[in-house]
Amino acid sequence: MPAGIPIRQFGTAIGLIVLCGILWILTPHFLTVANLLNVAEQTSINAIVAVGMTFVILSGGIDLSVGSIVAFSGVVLGSALAAGQPLPIALAFGLATGIGCGLANGALISWGGLPPFIVTLGTMSIARGAALLFTEGRPISGFSPSFRVLATGRLAFIPAPVIVMAVVYLVAHFVLTRTTFGRYVYAIGGNEEATRLSGVAIRFHKTMVYAVSGLTSAIAAVILTARLNSAQPIAGMMYELDAIAATVIGGTSLMGGDGTLAGTLIGALIMGVLRNGLNLLGVSSFLQQIVIGGVIVVAVLLDTVLKRNRA
Amino acid sequence: MTAGAPAPPVNAPVLEMRGIRKVFPGVVALDGVDLTLHAGDVHMLLGENGAGKSTLMKILSGAYRKDAGEIRINGGPVDISSPGDALALGIRVIYQELNLVPHLSVAENIFLGAAPTRALGIVDWRRLREQTTQLLRDLGLESLTIDPRTPVARLGIAQRQLVEIAKALARGETSILVMDEPTSSLTSREVSQLFGLIERLASRGVAIVYITHRLDEVFRIGRRITVLRDGRHVTTRATGDVTVPELVRLMANRDVTEHFPKVRVERGPELLRVEHVTRRGALSDISFSLHAGEVLGIAGLLGAGRTELARVIAGADRSESGRLAVDGRDVRFGGPGDAIACGIGLLPEDRKAHGLVAGLTVARNVALPHGRRLARFGVLPRRCEEALAKPIGDDLRVKATPTQAVRLLSGGNQQKVVLAKWLAGDVRIFIFDEPTRGIDVGAKVEIYNLMNRLTARGAGIIMISSELPELLGMSDRVLVMCRGRVQAELDAGEATEERVLSAALGLAS
Repeated sequence: MPAGIPIRQFGTAIGLIVLCGILWILTPHFLTVANLLNVAEQTSINAIVAVGMTFVILSGGIDLSVGSIVAFSGVVLGSALAAGQPLPIALAFGLATGIGCGLANGALISWGGLPPFIVTLGTMSIARGAALLFTEGRPISGFSPSFRVLATGRLAFIPAPVIVMAVVYLVAHFVLTRTTFGRYVYAIGGNEEATRLSGVAIRFHKTMVYAVSGLTSAIAAVILTARLNSAQPIAGMMYELDAIAATVIGGTSLMGGDGTLAGTLIGALIMGVLRNGLNLLGVSSFLQQIVIGGVIVVAVLLDTVLKRNRA
Repeated sequence: MTAGAPAPPVNAPVLEMRGIRKVFPGVVALDGVDLTLHAGDVHMLLGENGAGKSTLMKILSGAYRKDAGEIRINGGPVDISSPGDALALGIRVIYQELNLVPHLSVAENIFLGAAPTRALGIVDWRRLREQTTQLLRDLGLESLTIDPRTPVARLGIAQRQLVEIAKALARGETSILVMDEPTSSLTSREVSQLFGLIERLASRGVAIVYITHRLDEVFRIGRRITVLRDGRHVTTRATGDVTVPELVRLMANRDVTEHFPKVRVERGPELLRVEHVTRRGALSDISFSLHAGEVLGIAGLLGAGRTELARVIAGADRSESGRLAVDGRDVRFGGPGDAIACGIGLLPEDRKAHGLVAGLTVARNVALPHGRRLARFGVLPRRCEEALAKPIGDDLRVKATPTQAVRLLSGGNQQKVVLAKWLAGDVRIFIFDEPTRGIDVGAKVEIYNLMNRLTARGAGIIMISSELPELLGMSDRVLVMCRGRVQAELDAGEATEERVLSAALGLAS
């Protein structure tokens, strides 16, 4: 591991601990097992979407379409369930939708040579429109308990979404740190031309990066649909911004090539804890937006200053 | 040109730096360094990479603050604590990386932020053009026929460099001009142009500090020489009082007995054949072959198509027509991966942009082309990259551990990492594009020795270099390119600087 990264992650982790400490002092309810599990559960969806976002940003790209993919995958899953498909089939449909959207993003970026910002901005609108068209704008509700257990179930005392999140992070962390694909993600983000000249198939791997992002969005859609007991075409609004924020607070460079998933998880937790704490403190939702925006800017500012001093 | 130049004047020096000390965390970058400049001096600042040349100049230009020592200008002590201070004192620095805005015109670049304006801050374009033309004429650059309205993006590197100099000189009175390796990407003719300008400036009394790794330049334009080594001042002498071997010894503190330690080996079978390769606007009808055990030098001026040829052979760009054959078998490259699979490895001209992923570790850079071979079902065994890189890194004497980020390495060590990438695999055809550019004397010799070892092992090397002595010293055959064509093919015995140069200029050989 390069020497600089753990120190920076430490910084983010310390930020999270300090934040928890402050909330503990301000409100005794914060540091209860029930509330912490609640925070983890609420964070899980953003945290899972942020996994794909981290892959994309590490590769030097951006994915603005994740929120719309959550909605589109969700309604495909929901209508498959509503049509009486067995759970595994319905899940496969939902996940395939997300992967398909990601592949389309990746192919347009890699082979079409278009900027990721433009392509995913287009997909953001297309996938949202597709979700609305597919459902005629109406939510699909009322699913069987065997599906809803993905949100309501518990293993020991841990909520199912938290377990899903943990599994996604462990697998993704392994992929990013121990596989050739993971190496290429960092290398492409660090210097695409040098990576290409090293014989790495850039287009294929960049396409896969966006497919990963589509997949994690679809996984988040599964949990969201189960939790709401409803697949809504307007779900996942602004999720792209939350995911980008978690990634960036976690220390991943928007320039690509530098960052970790552990950082992203901490980034997502900071946002979750902050929302939860502000709710417990009875801060108005209007003010909450201002506070969260401020935290994002301050976190990145601190990171930038730390990096500058290190250089 | 210099006939009217004053002999080194006896009055107060333009610049005196005394006992300059600069400490970075863990390193003493400069330890009591002195530098004295007189008006009209062309002062060569020499030393291996890391000797402290750039640090000293950054202190002069206000980019760094010194920890101890004294700076006097025209005899009076000054405090330079920001680039603005240095500018106000008439100090100008031209860095290796040019700072021009590509889409603005020559005139706009030269007067960036200082363009003549009418009322309401509207740029007076006519006056801007006139001033630019005047300035270029003043600098003796009117022969370049640079139209002030041309966007900088359309100029060649040499012309951009001259624009950069004009820009520096347009900012008020200049008494000290620092140039950091200004010729590293220039061709011989362009170098002459630059040297003409330097001499004109010196004869007007500008004191010039010139940082270079090219010793021939030292004797062409230098009047005095200061050598730094490991952050210390080694010596300051008049150019006439030193010889090349002496200088190398002073810089490296070790005898590099032979400048080019070429070892010839028996020429083996043909490795690579290039036939009628053509790429529009860059290469036309290129044919040659490369044999095992040989170094094929490719000479040519900037823009002759040398790098373009290297990129086609390495699979980075496609050719429109022509064939490539490796080991006698026809090959078609869809990308660099195909070329690598055929045993072709490219050391690109711009190693930072094309050779390395600066943020990754040494080991991960070395392993980058070999991921598929190292991994099992896509999973990399623990520490397999370090295990691959360590012995090669040790062998090349890379001064870094496998887990260090490449970004933190010196130029010579970075070049060794790029080399290690190919040594870690089954590469037999090496393309070295300017392999020693910007690296220090010691590392250069190590690269020459490595070339010998590679040819002894039966590899073939295509070496592109703008340094003729190096090219002639290390090649078995020399291909001279001119405007995208092969102008001449010379054996080592018949290749002289004159013959190569005249071919490169397009004259019959």
